[in-house]
Amino acid sequence: MFHQVGCFVVTDFNYENKMTVEEFRGYLGYNNEIDRYLIGMRVLAVDDDPTCLKLLDGLLRKCQNQEKARKCMWFAHDNAVFAVCWIKCKRQIEMAAIAVHQFADCITCHAWSPDQSMVALCPNNNEVHIYKLVEENWERIHVLQKHDQIIVGIDWSKSSNRIVTVSHDRNSYVWNEEGSLWVPTLVILRLNRAALCVQWSPKGNKFAVGSGAKTVCICYYEQENNWWVSKLIRKRHDSSVTSVAWHPNNVLIATTSTDGKCRVFSTFIKGVDAGKPKKSGSGSLDAKFGEQIVQLDLSFCWAFGVKWSPSGNSLAYVGHNSMIYFVDQVGPSPLAQSVVLRDLPLRDVMFVSEKLVIGVGFDCNPMVFAADGTGLWSFVRYLDEKKAASSSGRYGSQFTEAFGKFYGSSKQGTSNDKGRAGVHDNCINCIVPLKKSESTKMTSFSTSGLDGKMVIWDLKNQEDLVEYL
Amino acid sequence: MEKGKARAKMADHVEADNAEAIITTIEQKSRKIESLIKQYRPVEALKTALEGSPPKTRDERCKSANWIAVHRALMAIKAVDLMFSNLDPEYYDILMKYLYRGLATGDRPTCDQCLKIHEKLTQKAGLGCILRALSDTVNTV
Repeated sequence: MFHQVGCFVVTDFNYENKMTVEEFRGYLGYNNEIDRYLIGMRVLAVDDDPTCLKLLDGLLRKCQNQEKARKCMWFAHDNAVFAVCWIKCKRQIEMAAIAVHQFADCITCHAWSPDQSMVALCPNNNEVHIYKLVEENWERIHVLQKHDQIIVGIDWSKSSNRIVTVSHDRNSYVWNEEGSLWVPTLVILRLNRAALCVQWSPKGNKFAVGSGAKTVCICYYEQENNWWVSKLIRKRHDSSVTSVAWHPNNVLIATTSTDGKCRVFSTFIKGVDAGKPKKSGSGSLDAKFGEQIVQLDLSFCWAFGVKWSPSGNSLAYVGHNSMIYFVDQVGPSPLAQSVVLRDLPLRDVMFVSEKLVIGVGFDCNPMVFAADGTGLWSFVRYLDEKKAASSSGRYGSQFTEAFGKFYGSSKQGTSNDKGRAGVHDNCINCIVPLKKSESTKMTSFSTSGLDGKMVIWDLKNQEDLVEYL
Repeated sequence: MEKGKARAKMADHVEADNAEAIITTIEQKSRKIESLIKQYRPVEALKTALEGSPPKTRDERCKSANWIAVHRALMAIKAVDLMFSNLDPEYYDILMKYLYRGLATGDRPTCDQCLKIHEKLTQKAGLGCILRALSDTVNTV
């Protein structure tokens, strides 16, 4: 039976009744009294028996880890004088991950519909599954089967509601919704190697495909012949093109490649892009199709995941050597910064705003990067606090074991090491923004990974990041 | 014709006749390293050895010469646990590359020492440091 703890609490806690450990925990966590614990309120617990206070401390710490009690964070500080301990309610820490769903064993890539009610994803095979959220449950409403090999890129155009898919079978299909069916149109890319990535242009009239054939295909729709034509950028790349990203002006495109370089090209196509584009701030736009504007030699190993900032002034991409590169004033004389990562490499990045970038990768935990007033980028923190707190800078049980064998001494697993306690269990390889309309600020995005989960994150409750949004 | 190359580009590789100059610098460094080791300041000796490492040269003689100097400093370190309090983070990546070169020699005392330092360096610098040492095939030591 639990020893009675003398406790002054600013609620109706009836301390004269003896309470069991469960009841006490239940009091704190499971009933509506929890709302009475105002943020910032201090509670003083007094007892003549320091053991009881230590028990209380332990209880309160356990409560803070349970989901239901997350409205308060408690810690007890032992003051040796008269066995008094202060319990202070800390600010609540909101989880950034607001929804998690396990769609398959492994998700290669995903894309959202323009109204964000449906998501199209590839469960690591040659099909595209489209899921719709119907009353809190995800239901599969379509399966698109046309490709022969794994589909590595899916994009869903906001303006035209068309889905484009590319696959290792060197083909691409554009899917149009006709009634309740999705009808594919083959796009002849003229590739002799796999396609690796795809993205619709901002206006939705072109899309770019990066391939293992060291080329980038820019495809556009030709009305007269009712088909999609592909124009190839054959020059410059020395190796596979891993990622493509369109500049907001619908003409410039940035690519990353396994030769370590990031390049910016012009994709001006007569008849598709209006007339002669006027010169704007970044880059010269009167370049002809396939002309390289800038080549960035910042990385010595594979580069992935390039993205433009919302204004198109900055670029970010990652290297497989655990580095992330930020480039401002993309043009003839860009300002480049390399940020060194402590842990495993990233696979994809995304600009939340001009000053906030989220990177995802092999750490299974999104990383937040922010630019300060002078434009200097740096790592802020991991987004998934639960994971970051429990691993506390260590590498998870698999690595600790491996290092133990390597170093020959027995390494005790840290007790708070429950393995992958965070949201994602495996590498996150895709991050997609979720933006309701053009006018609102983007605060939420979704990630999918090799664990087959898709997680939706929202930054609006992350108080330390709000200033960057 | 390219419109413009980024300012942040790789430095040009050193030519063969410059290799002699580099080797002379390394020899000067070695003398300084020896004196620091005699003064029981092995961590500073290591810093001197790592400074100005010539990874941008393709010349194997320069790399070997620098490796010998670094190896001398590494073997002189007795208190591996304390060495990182004096070593700046900018040296971590280059040190990791040399550790892997040391591990590749297969020589027992070298490997023992390199392994001990590798353990501490990984704890300090993280897995990213290992990634950078392994993935950089251009600037090798």
